[in-house]
Amino acid sequence: MFDFRFYEIWRSEEFISALLSGAFNSFWLSAVGGMLGFCFGLMLAISQDKTVFWGVRYTARSYIEIVRNTPFIVQLFFVAFGLPLLFDYQWSFFASALLAITLNFSAYFAEIVRSGIDTIDKGQLEAAKSLCFSKRQTLFDIILPQALVKVYPSLTSQFVFLFLTTGLVSEISVEDLTWAGRFISDRNFRDFEVFIVLTVIYILLAWLFKLILQGIKRLAFPWSVNK
Amino acid sequence: MSKWYDDFQVLKDIDLSVAFGERIVICGPSGSGKSTLIRCLNHLEEHQKGSITVNDISLSPGMKNPEKVRREVGMVFQSFNLFPHLTILENCMLPQQRALKRTKAEAREIGMRFLERVKIPEQSDKYPRQLSGGQQQRVAIARALCMEPKIMLFDEPTSALDPEMVSEVLDTMIELAESGMTMLCVTHEMGFARKVADRVIFMDAGKIVESSDPEAFFSNPQHPRTKEFLGQIL
Amino acid sequence: MTELLNSLFGPFYGNMIGLLLSATQWTIYLSLAAFIGGGLLGLMLTVLKISPLKPLRWFATAYIWLFQSIPLLMLLFLLGLGIPVFFQIDVPAWLAAGTALTLFTSAYMSEVWRGALESIPQGQWEAGKAVGLTFIQNLWWIIAPQALRIATPSTVGFMIQVIKGTSMAYIIDYNDLMRWGKKIANSQLDGAEPFIVFPIVALIYFCLCFPLSLWSKHLEKKMVLT
Repeated sequence: MFDFRFYEIWRSEEFISALLSGAFNSFWLSAVGGMLGFCFGLMLAISQDKTVFWGVRYTARSYIEIVRNTPFIVQLFFVAFGLPLLFDYQWSFFASALLAITLNFSAYFAEIVRSGIDTIDKGQLEAAKSLCFSKRQTLFDIILPQALVKVYPSLTSQFVFLFLTTGLVSEISVEDLTWAGRFISDRNFRDFEVFIVLTVIYILLAWLFKLILQGIKRLAFPWSVNK
Repeated sequence: MSKWYDDFQVLKDIDLSVAFGERIVICGPSGSGKSTLIRCLNHLEEHQKGSITVNDISLSPGMKNPEKVRREVGMVFQSFNLFPHLTILENCMLPQQRALKRTKAEAREIGMRFLERVKIPEQSDKYPRQLSGGQQQRVAIARALCMEPKIMLFDEPTSALDPEMVSEVLDTMIELAESGMTMLCVTHEMGFARKVADRVIFMDAGKIVESSDPEAFFSNPQHPRTKEFLGQIL
Repeated sequence: MTELLNSLFGPFYGNMIGLLLSATQWTIYLSLAAFIGGGLLGLMLTVLKISPLKPLRWFATAYIWLFQSIPLLMLLFLLGLGIPVFFQIDVPAWLAAGTALTLFTSAYMSEVWRGALESIPQGQWEAGKAVGLTFIQNLWWIIAPQALRIATPSTVGFMIQVIKGTSMAYIIDYNDLMRWGKKIANSQLDGAEPFIVFPIVALIYFCLCFPLSLWSKHLEKKMVLT
């Protein structure tokens, strides 16, 4: 009954190299998109502060809500097929994928970072004030380091969750891991085996990301780890 | 000077002047406005009516640069409010580097000097959570002193401490008082008040009801609320 | 309905929006099926996960780990393409999509509910035991009602994830809002360009998700206050 034929994948060098380069592309799309998304998300989170000009604040708020309440695939198609027409300039699908991932991730990160900022004890702000820190210094030296450490676990799991949705970029012919899977199953007709292998690779990549993010935490916030 | 929270008046016509080098202890039941009063002095809270002048700088509601005043005024909080992500020494250094634009080396030297003064230089590389409450509060005092303020404000510095740690903090404060620092302390430590205060102020319901030297304050309180209060805590 | 849309947006856009809205019902059905199916399955898993029997707990742990780790997209491919090819059977798209989303939902929901149950102090369990309640009675009458309040905001919040998740089902040819949006955007008609169609599609999804998002936030605030 169970007639698994995984060798239908291994036997072809073409398939294996498709899987490898697909995995590599999936990895770095999420890694770069994640970093850019984090930076943009940080700005969005900061711009939610009451002291920011209301126009900026509400624009950022709307952006976050729109992205978080619509599916990634719609955003991706809009960025890949809609925007180039509007701007009358066709950029690569890879660029579209990276842009869509960045925009998508940023809204989720922004919401998490914001929640972290909100949990910082008021006493910290008063101490900073009484020690003459400027607003900007208070934000970057006192609030953000503490907030980021607090929400680091949420950021990590959100990132991994989002990474697992990036397979959709194969829908705009970006040659990521999912694309490699479809490329192979279109040729060897072993869909089940192919997607099992793909799933395993996705799980391994997710695990790799978790490891890397833990390492980054150790480097960036040594005080939160030791003893 | 007066202050309201919405409709509720927390401070009612406070009239107080503190001479240079004077040491004042403020006490009173909770909710009497004593913390609010000293928090107005470095503009953590705004007053609405009247005027406050600190070291010839006058404070006004909504003022643009409260830093000018805060540079002259150090503050120690009930809950220490050390920065948990910085080591003890960094806690003392960073404010100097940021607000006073001191170099790292300068900041480190001054930081160590004041940590020695509060007798915990050996803990300088630890993080706040690795220290006891009493040690943390001494660091908080050192951190404020590093800014070389002319006035020190203490907002119930020992209320959050376990009883056995109170004395080490009080000793630090006494030493500071003896060095001639101008100090305003909100505290219920009457032993401390007796020992170092030039004046003890008793507040109730947003008003200063009694203000006298400690001798008179303890032996012969004038106001019935003061008597009642002293009866409760002594 | 059609007339109303036509008079509001003109025949062309009225027609388009009518098509999209009627496709939206399939998005809603799939979301509801996944949410209800996943909810029930998740409930059982939660009970297994905290049950006194070790093998049951292991099973629940493994299940939750597995279906949180498999990308939803892979689950759709496995059930919608992999299984039909492998077993030479016909699996309708709605069934594959419904099953995939149910598995996905159950794993995440049981995680949320377990967290809520564990946040109930141990003393509550012991108090129930002390008056002679069985494990199930204790859970049903004492613990669950308290945990429910804690879990509701996240549960409502996860409904948004489910709705967004259904948008992937078009990949295995489920006829939902996303699939029709893509069809119309590919139609090459003037006025149906992707930069017009996808924002409309996004708006419809937004109208489904945003109220839930507000509701979830409202519940959270209420919980913090009490």
